[in-house]
Amino acid sequence: MDNDVTGQLNEVDTPVITMREQKVRKRRNVFSYIALLPAALLVFGLMVFPIGETIYHSFTNWDGATSTFIGFENFRLIFSNPIISQVLVNSLIFLISVPLILAASLVTAVLVYEKVLGWRVFRFLFFIPMVLSPVIVGVLFSTIFLPGGAVDKLLSVFGLGQFSWLQYPWTARAVVILALVWTSFGFGMVVILSAMSTVDTALYDAAAIDGASWWRRLRSITIPMISGSLQFLSVINVIYTFTSLFAFVFTITAGGPGFSTTTVDYYTYITTFENGQFGYGAALALLLFLIVLTLTIAQVKLFPYREVQQGS
Amino acid sequence: MTSRISRTLVFVILCLIAVSTVYPLIFMALNSMRSSSAFELSPFGLPSHWNFSSYHSLFQEIPFAQSILHSFIVVVPAVILATFTSSLAAFVFTKVPIKLGNVMFWVMLMIMFMPGIVVLLPLYVEVAHTGLSNNFVPAILIYTAISIPYGTYLLRSNFRSIPDSVVEAARVDGASWIKVYWRVILPIGRPGVFTVAILTFLNIWNDLFISLVLLHASNTEMVTPTLAQLSGKYSTDVPVLMAGLLIGALPTLLLYFITARVFIRGMLSGAVR
Repeated sequence: MDNDVTGQLNEVDTPVITMREQKVRKRRNVFSYIALLPAALLVFGLMVFPIGETIYHSFTNWDGATSTFIGFENFRLIFSNPIISQVLVNSLIFLISVPLILAASLVTAVLVYEKVLGWRVFRFLFFIPMVLSPVIVGVLFSTIFLPGGAVDKLLSVFGLGQFSWLQYPWTARAVVILALVWTSFGFGMVVILSAMSTVDTALYDAAAIDGASWWRRLRSITIPMISGSLQFLSVINVIYTFTSLFAFVFTITAGGPGFSTTTVDYYTYITTFENGQFGYGAALALLLFLIVLTLTIAQVKLFPYREVQQGS
Repeated sequence: MTSRISRTLVFVILCLIAVSTVYPLIFMALNSMRSSSAFELSPFGLPSHWNFSSYHSLFQEIPFAQSILHSFIVVVPAVILATFTSSLAAFVFTKVPIKLGNVMFWVMLMIMFMPGIVVLLPLYVEVAHTGLSNNFVPAILIYTAISIPYGTYLLRSNFRSIPDSVVEAARVDGASWIKVYWRVILPIGRPGVFTVAILTFLNIWNDLFISLVLLHASNTEMVTPTLAQLSGKYSTDVPVLMAGLLIGALPTLLLYFITARVFIRGMLSGAVR
């Protein structure tokens, strides 16, 4: 808006511009619609419209070919299905990863911020897991956690024997959570680091003069100053726990043992693409969508977006 | 003195974490060159000699090279399409005032975090109905569509930093909007556009879900589903598995190694302070 000075001057200088101005306005409109068209067509045709279809079919009995309207029957089935409550509880359990990711990100960020020798190298290296596909991380984790695998061999140094990590619900969940934390903390660290770089160093100097301990400075200066980033990270990771565990679950546990590591999207995948219950799957997908949408809206309401300015 | 000790301690802890993020890559590389019997004995040994037989069997026994090719066939056009269309959309959202522009932008933001299965379920059925199962074109278009909201979001904040006066000046000189986009916005915003292309490549290359559902025939399968199924087939032949993981990770790893700075800054530009 600040840059409109030239535009205003033009209008004042040439009051008889109306015809040309109108033409320009019109062309501007035509251009903007044409320029938006490809993105809008793709997003509307391949995302918005399918959402509508999913909503419609969640009220039908649909095998992929024929569908008959059955009202809320799918949802009644969902809420009377004990597996679903198990699956939702699993998602809540996987939320344990969020404080773990935050803690790991904060610790690494604070350590890297000390600017020890080679801190740039550390920042570079900590980001590597983020670049790997969840499939690669998942297959790697499922390999090293096999009984007698690399982890067992490592633990045998402490005199521990073989253990079937993926055969017990809680250790299987722990492996999935570990995989998620390992891939996510690099991003969290980078976000926190960039927030810390905006904190006035004079604050730390003043605190140091007052004799504040390292821990005290962390608690009273750093954490309050970067609270926005911490909120952002927690919300984004809560959403990720619901939407992006599919590849980990698929490759590490296949949802097992039993349904103890099955997530909503993995269960939807099984019912839809392996059992062919498309209507029921649509209702499940809609349930997941509503959960995520609620979380997203809560995020926008609670923590209004403040986008990072360029050059940071 | 104490600061010296604490600095050393910090350094040691950082080294330990770095080992956890780097060692898996070394683990894959070393074990891919060992025999499976040597691996069974100890997963931490070194290869006795340069042994590429695992890579040989990876490419001979399963169509691994093809799966990499399929990934490129899908990912490259999708990245180009998504980057181009999102840059156009971001340009309109920031520089060309338009009715309902904000509403459209917020719709995009709302579906940015949408779980893929919500759209993939009906799309899978439609693709099957139109006889396009295991065809690359629907996969390319769906990957493009799913990448547009994030790309537009990143580029919008990027293009915003380009002063409006630059656009005004070009307009006063008689440049058409398309010219402004091509000659002014794209050159100035190149780092941002480049970043979006890199991140889109990463997201699509690494995705499992869409490729698993849409391209399931062996003559169209992409690399991530191939790797996911490899772990079942070769659970007893870990060296082959490790060779596959390493090659599957190589494109994104190389991209990251070459463009690390742009990469990290790009991921940050989507975050809030």
